[in-house]
Amino acid sequence: MSSRNPSYTNPKPCKHLEDYKLRHGLSGYKSIQRHLKATPHGRTSVEMLNTGVPRCNSCNGFQGRLYLCLICNSVSCLDHTLLHTQSEDGHDLAVDIERAELYCCVCCDQVYDPDFDKVVMSKHNMGVPRDDKHGDESIGERLVKRRRLGLGVAEELVDLKKSKQLVSMRDRRDKSCYPLGLRGLNNLGSTCFMNSVLQALLHAPPFRNYFLSEGHNHEACRRRSGDRLCLSCDIDVVFSAVFSGDRAPYSPAHFLYSWWQHSANLASYEQQDAHEFFISVLDGIHEKEDKSRNRNRDSGDCQCIAHRVFSGLLRSDVTCMTCGSTSTTYDPCVDISVDLDTSNFSPTDTVNKRSKPNENSSISTLLGCLDLFTRQEKLGPEQKLFCETCQEMRDSVKQMSIRRLPLVLCLHIKRFEHSPVRKMWRKIDRYLQFPFSLDMTPYLSSSIVRNRFGNRIFSVEGDESDINTDFEIFAVVSHSGTLESGHYVTFLRLRNRWYKCDDAWITEVDEEIVRASQCYMMFYVQKMLYQKADEDLSSLPLSPRRDAYLPIASC
Amino acid sequence: MFGVRRMRPSVNRPPTPDVQENQEKEPTLQETINIKLIESGEKERLMELLRERLVECGWKDEMKAICRAFIKKKGRNNVTVDDLVHVITPKGRASVPDSIKAELLQRIRKFLVSAAL
Repeated sequence: MSSRNPSYTNPKPCKHLEDYKLRHGLSGYKSIQRHLKATPHGRTSVEMLNTGVPRCNSCNGFQGRLYLCLICNSVSCLDHTLLHTQSEDGHDLAVDIERAELYCCVCCDQVYDPDFDKVVMSKHNMGVPRDDKHGDESIGERLVKRRRLGLGVAEELVDLKKSKQLVSMRDRRDKSCYPLGLRGLNNLGSTCFMNSVLQALLHAPPFRNYFLSEGHNHEACRRRSGDRLCLSCDIDVVFSAVFSGDRAPYSPAHFLYSWWQHSANLASYEQQDAHEFFISVLDGIHEKEDKSRNRNRDSGDCQCIAHRVFSGLLRSDVTCMTCGSTSTTYDPCVDISVDLDTSNFSPTDTVNKRSKPNENSSISTLLGCLDLFTRQEKLGPEQKLFCETCQEMRDSVKQMSIRRLPLVLCLHIKRFEHSPVRKMWRKIDRYLQFPFSLDMTPYLSSSIVRNRFGNRIFSVEGDESDINTDFEIFAVVSHSGTLESGHYVTFLRLRNRWYKCDDAWITEVDEEIVRASQCYMMFYVQKMLYQKADEDLSSLPLSPRRDAYLPIASC
Repeated sequence: MFGVRRMRPSVNRPPTPDVQENQEKEPTLQETINIKLIESGEKERLMELLRERLVECGWKDEMKAICRAFIKKKGRNNVTVDDLVHVITPKGRASVPDSIKAELLQRIRKFLVSAAL
């Protein structure tokens, strides 16, 4: 059981709330239920009078916060609320009229009660989730027009001199003391896009474990299906070669050929997009599995290794801004494509202009990108959607969230933008700050949906306290260069050390190098699986930097 | 005896209200505008617009940061919502960007013109 962040647990009721509940139960809440008014923005307020302005019973004031006593239904401003509780015994609990939130007049503080929030939430039309199967299409395919990032010669590093120094230092060490499974991949002609993704797949713990433990059996596979084309078989061959202990660079020629057969449209020596390759490989693995499996298993999740490792579920909520009703759809995904979080504040409005600058606003961060991905997005006037309740085309707000996290989370950073002036796409070379340990809790559907309604305690679909939200990064695929001419490398994190996989060359590097690179695909794995993978590797001798060097008899 | 008019206390007479002045004065201009804004629903729209702008410009994040710092200093269990409101109200009011104030004033003016006040 992971130690949860205390701010995510429900606050305990105060003594006065408990007493109130014992004495009055839910009657007070129910009595104001019909006076609650919900707005399409997720807010709720209390409307006692049919028209007009709520005023304090004692002083007729209407400014500031007004409270409705739950016992006698009198409305008072804050000062008179406190006087009221002193003069009337037991009139401790009140409701903030503008916000529909509970207030304890004795503690002088806001209090929370799931029963109260249930009454409040009953006013919001949450909508019925439609089980919309869009197939195994990645969200990336639908959201973005992906561009090809190619390979090239020039490699940009932030501190070129320093990094070259570090690289040359590492070269002198004996490579045979590297962790098992580190082997260079030869470039077969603009195939760095393939090599980089392969390196990440080779070290994705659940994916690696499946293949290394004979998860895919060649003979059984050939017997089951007549045709020889099977990407899983070919990947299995690559795994065997890379984890054999042989450190000479390996040429994944057969795998490349097989992949060409599968993705005929991408079969060429041209520059390719690594993300596109990643999707097509997973698709190829899945397709073969689908063909050989019993077709009747339509319900339930696909059990092919690609989906078992990478498949998650995204939730999309579309809210009508007129009536507030929400329609929810769920779509499976094998990765999440996020836009770069660039601060687009207009100079006159920004908070930064003042004495205390907000330190995070000028750097792009991965968390910022995820915030952007899960923010409430106003759909423009041309994007009006049909609202079932209003029976009309309405302005809407869309919000994405993650319903189910995969074992391995692949985050695709969309490093390209379209310039309408120049009528072309170009790459965004921008530093992205990212954590090595990532807690995905704030991006789950339960968190996002809950936040939409302010300070409410209520359960959301998928609210399990024991789901794993802690992730550790293990691979980063970085791109250097331009859209037309660039180069991919992969940084692997094994036993808390970083290794740069640049086609045939594997070198140990400092984490600054990784951080300075233009990360394009980030691979995170659930923390427990990362720690277990670490243990598997620990049984091997370490490099001379730490312990005495021991020759490896067999790997 | 017959010429003298005596006011007999009526049992149905409501109790004397606490504060009498406000009920007898004419509503101020501010009150009138506020009432009109609320009754027409314009106030709610303005509030939503204001919320949106304050989030966009980072004001909300700044207030959150101030609250967090205050809570850290005092300890989580020693802080009430009222404390936080008292702490951030002056800072919050002072740090609203002028452009947002201008935009809202403009909206209110437009509304008043259309409501023919």
